[in-house]
Parts: sequence; C-alpha cells; structure tokens
Amino acid sequence: MTEFKPGDILKSIDGNNIKIIRFLASGGQGDVYEVEYKGERKALKWYRTFGTNKKKFYENLKNNISNGSPDKNFLWPEALTTTINNSFGYVMKLRPKEYHELSEFIIARGVKFPSFKAAIEVCLKITSAFRILHNKGYSNQDLNDGNFFINPDTGDVLICDNDNVAPNNTNMGIIGKPRYMAPEIVSGHNKVLPNTQSDRFSLAIILFIILCNNHPLEGKRWVSIPCMTPAFAEQIYGNNALFIYDENDRSNAPVDRLQPNVALRWKYMPDYIKDAFKKSFSREAILNPSKRLRETDWLKVLTRFESEIVKCDCGNEIFIHDASDTKCEKCGRIYNVKHKLKLPEYSLTIARGTWLYRCQLGSCNDTEALNPILHSVYVISNGKKVLCLKNEMGKELKAITTSGQVRMVKPNELVPVLTGIKFIVFDKEIKII
Amino acid sequence: MPNIIDTTEMVKKVLPIIYVLDTSGSMSGEKIAAVNEAMHETVDVLKDISEKNPDAQVKIAALAFSTGSRWITSENTLEDLEDFVWTDLVAGGTTDLGNAISELDKKLSRSELLKSEVGFCIPVILFLTDGHPTDSYINILKNANKNNTWFRHATKIGIAVGEDADQEALARVVGNSEAVISVHDNDTLKALIKVASITSSMVNSKSRTSSDTNNAVEIINQTMQMLPCKGVTLNKSSSSETKKTDNNSSDYTIIDLDESNW
Repeated sequence: MTEFKPGDILKSIDGNNIKIIRFLASGGQGDVYEVEYKGERKALKWYRTFGTNKKKFYENLKNNISNGSPDKNFLWPEALTTTINNSFGYVMKLRPKEYHELSEFIIARGVKFPSFKAAIEVCLKITSAFRILHNKGYSNQDLNDGNFFINPDTGDVLICDNDNVAPNNTNMGIIGKPRYMAPEIVSGHNKVLPNTQSDRFSLAIILFIILCNNHPLEGKRWVSIPCMTPAFAEQIYGNNALFIYDENDRSNAPVDRLQPNVALRWKYMPDYIKDAFKKSFSREAILNPSKRLRETDWLKVLTRFESEIVKCDCGNEIFIHDASDTKCEKCGRIYNVKHKLKLPEYSLTIARGTWLYRCQLGSCNDTEALNPILHSVYVISNGKKVLCLKNEMGKELKAITTSGQVRMVKPNELVPVLTGIKFIVFDKEIKII
Repeated sequence: MPNIIDTTEMVKKVLPIIYVLDTSGSMSGEKIAAVNEAMHETVDVLKDISEKNPDAQVKIAALAFSTGSRWITSENTLEDLEDFVWTDLVAGGTTDLGNAISELDKKLSRSELLKSEVGFCIPVILFLTDGHPTDSYINILKNANKNNTWFRHATKIGIAVGEDADQEALARVVGNSEAVISVHDNDTLKALIKVASITSSMVNSKSRTSSDTNNAVEIINQTMQMLPCKGVTLNKSSSSETKKTDNNSSDYTIIDLDESNW
C-alpha cells in the first residue's frame, strides 16, 4: 500500500537524490519513510492529501524551507521533492529514538514523565518554541498533541509536523484537530481560520494536558454527552466551552472517579498556575482571542513553578508555597526553606538546581525571556558543601556584599548563598534573604 | 503532591465500529474466506491502534445477515478489542438486509449495545454485501432513520462486493452514494476491509480542513488514497441516483442536543 519501496530514488527540487531506506509510518496526511539525503539519514513525509490548495501548499513549503528553521527545536522541512504522480513530499530530520510522542504520555502506558519538574521543563520548551515561531511572524494553525516529540529524561522537545506553518493569517486549508482547535474555529463552521491567537488557545490546552493529563474542557458536561456529534462538540469546544475549573459555573467540573489525574493534581497547583489556566479558559478568553495569555506570560509562571519544586529526602516532589517551609505530602517531613531570592514580584526558593531567568525579573523583551541569570549549584569548599549562585548571564553581574561593597561577578563565577547579598540586574535589585 | 509516575490514561470516549456483513449463499467460498481473513487481521490492527489512540477507545460489533441476522459479537455490549477473537463466518441463505437494519435499530441504544459511562464518538457502521436485498428494507430503513438517533447520525459506509452487488440499495442505506466503494477482487476486498477499518478508527484524530464534508466521505477518500487503485472504485455509477439518496440521514436535519433522544 506504500508508494515507494526501499532503494527507490526521488529527486529534491535542487537536484539532490533522496533514497528510500524503509517505510516508517502512516499518518492522516501521508506516509513517512526513512531516507538517505546528502549522505545522512533523514525522514521523508510523502503526502496523500494537502489541505485545500495543493499549489499554495507546495509554494508555502518551499518558502518555509528557504527561510530556514526558526529554531533548532523544530523538525523543519529541509528539502522538497519534485512532483511524482501528482504528489510530493519533504525531507526533515529523523526523530531520535529517545523521543516519544505526546500522545504516549497521554495514554500513560509505557512512557511517563519522571517528575513534575521534567513535565514543566517540557512546557517551557514548547512555549518557548512557539514564542519563537510567533515572533518570526508564523502561526502553526494545527497545534495538537501530535506536534511534539519529547525526551522525558531531559525535558527536550522537538516540534514536528511543521508543514502547515504559514505566515500569520495565511491559511493552507488545515484548520486543526478536533479537541485542540480554538473555540472560534469550532464555532466558525469553516469560515474562521486559525492564526496566532488560536494557536495560543491550543497551546494552553497542551500545557494543561501535560500538567494534569486531562483536557481542560472535558468534565461533567463532556462525560454526560452521549455522542460527540458536531453539534455537541460545539457545546464543549466552541463558543460555549466551559473550563472544568470555572469558578462561576461548576457544571463542567471534573468527575473525580473517571478523571483522577486532574482531580488529584489541581489542588496542589500553585495559585499563579491556576490563575493562568483560569484566565486562558475564561469566558473572556474563549470569546475574545486577544485576551489570551501570550507565550511570555506562560514563561513567567512556568519558570517560577519549575523553581519552586524541590525534592524531599523521601524522593517525593514538593511544591513550595510562597518560598516558605512546606510539608511533604508523602512522608510528612517539613522541607525547610533556608534561603530565598527576593525578586521584584515574589520570593523564590533557592534550592539545588534553581534557575532564575530574565522573565522572572519583570517585563522584558520576548526574545530575552528565557535568558538565564543565575543558577544554584553545590560546590565543595574546605570539605564542606556550600550552596552557591552561578552567574549564567554570559556577562558581568553587579553584586553587593553583606558589608555593602560592590563586586563585579564574572560569567560563570560563583557567589555563596548568604543572607543580605544583593544583585543589581537590569536595574532591578534582587536580594538573598 | 501526587507522584507523576502514578498518572493514569486520560479518559476517552468510545468509538464503535460496527460491521454489518452479508453472509448469504453468494458470499460462500473465496469471498467469505477473504472477509474472515481480513477481519482477523483487522481486529489485531485495531487493537494496536486503539491502544495508541489518545482520542478514542475503539470497540467493535459485528452483525451477520443472510436468512435473518445474528450478532457475531455480544448482543449486549460492544467488544473490547483487548481480548476479542474473530470467529469465522459461514455463508449460506438469502440477503435479508432489512432484517439487519431492523436489528441495528433495536440494538443501537444506550440500554443495549451502547452502554458507556463516558459516552461515544459518532459510531461508524460498515455495510458489506455482494447481492440484492431479498426482504423489503426500505420502510425499515425509513423507520430506523426516523426513530433511531444513533442510526441516523452514524457514519455509514457501504462496500459493494462484485458486479452483482446492489449499489443503489447500499447507497440508500448509507444515505450517500459517495459513501459506497465497489470492490471487484478478493485481495482488494481484504485490503479494503482493513484499510477502511483503520481510517474509521482514526477519523477523530485527523486534522480538519476548511473543505471537509462529512466523516463518511473523509473515511472513503482516505481509504481510497491508501489502497492500491486496482480493483476498487468509488460508486459514482448510478446516474439516476442523486448524490444524497432518498431516506438518507440528511432528510432529518434535527440537531439532536436533547440527550434523551439518544
């Protein structure tokens, strides 16, 4: 049933050979093969369908290839084939074997996130990738659970299926996958087309799923729907969508027995994460796409969340509340917060592996949001373990010692964590307390 | 905080795929052997797909019709693919299509086949026949479309096997002549059953285009793309047929948001 057999040779439009090695998989739009291209093993996606306008689709792919990948995390089209039998394909990097599809985490059989910290790292990487994509003027338009390959151990993410990516407000005919489309697309009956703002709604769905393993709009109302016809689907996912934790209307609350993941987790989520989701899925954000959280808004709360998860001696993860001592839910031990960094908007727990990013210091340029500032590490000094903050800025950092002396900290230099030390970064004062 | 390792699978709606298979005398021999072989393979493939599908849990049912009709799978519940084994069909008798539709009308109900705590995706019903109905099916079909919300809304696909299959009857049953595929050799028949089942099982996971029509046509189009072209044609032969046939589901444009109708 496949179009090509091993050994077949296709040509890219710039005249290079693409040799079929083997068939890999079949998807909704076409087949994927392992190929050899310019002496390297790559993947070839060969289409069976192309949205609504083949010529436009082909030209868009060609443009995306010549513009190049927005970031290393995208499995971006690298070469386009010539047309054969009225169809074509494109070459991209192969997925490394340690990466898994997001759907595998959703079905939670073999593959799981090793920790919440890793899951948040994945959320950060995905959000960061879409920030870069949107900043370059593109929108994805078909953001769904099939777009991500995830390495659960490192939190690294590869964004795949980038063939529908197009300049914002230019559509290639694909409007999105059911359950992941923004409400205006669902209720738009093919007349409203996806764009950056609809991407942002889909992104919030993805982030909620990664953290809670439940769809944010699928609660009691969803469970009670006997058959998901388009009319019922519009009730759940369209302009009448209702967040499962909507504060004013509890009619779509999770059904604890059927949806244990979210029922167990939500109550532990810090308020700023809950607020971000409540805002993302509020009536206002459902009906008015411009009210949705931007990627930078997510980066701010996700970086804070990531740095507030510490590991108890018993191995359990603890979500620290307000940088204060917090009880481990599993063993009952109190996790003692010895030091924190007083930032302009909140205090941050300093534990092993805490990262401070630019976006945690207040408003900043989108492109700088994830620039690291400080990173906490333990070093051995005079036979003792000392917690230090490392300058990760790549340039000198101004510090004020406890005795009030100004010291310039060189890149990668370490400052011991001592109460009273201050840093002046981007005109903001942050202090170890 | 609960341990993230304890994550369980996200709850999914159930996607019923219901096979309505002609086991009349004319199907005997190679044709029924091809159907049986295809179903053995299909069950294995669907099991794998359903496990990996984050959007729907696929369950199946099969109704055989010849002189009368009988459920090959459980009469009271859809079969979980996990531990399901296909039992080979034997062909013989007449082609009581009306009886099969009447049985569907009876069993497509929340108190019969369609029991679930979380509800369903739109069921897919695959009708396969190689002959002409030997009973009067038209009024039965009308009633099913009128009274059974599940039947009316189901994604219905027809597979016409060989030259003698009554394509017009199939088009009438599935409500759309574009939702009928004709197949002329047994190898293609085998491939077709498998591919149509696979595409049906993934219909909820496919990204939509702004020109999408309905599930049945989407499944057919995708099935055609995945099949070798030899020996299979889309049913566009009956020129007397309008695209949408009599008694089809589009005659009933009521949007059923009333849960008690289901």
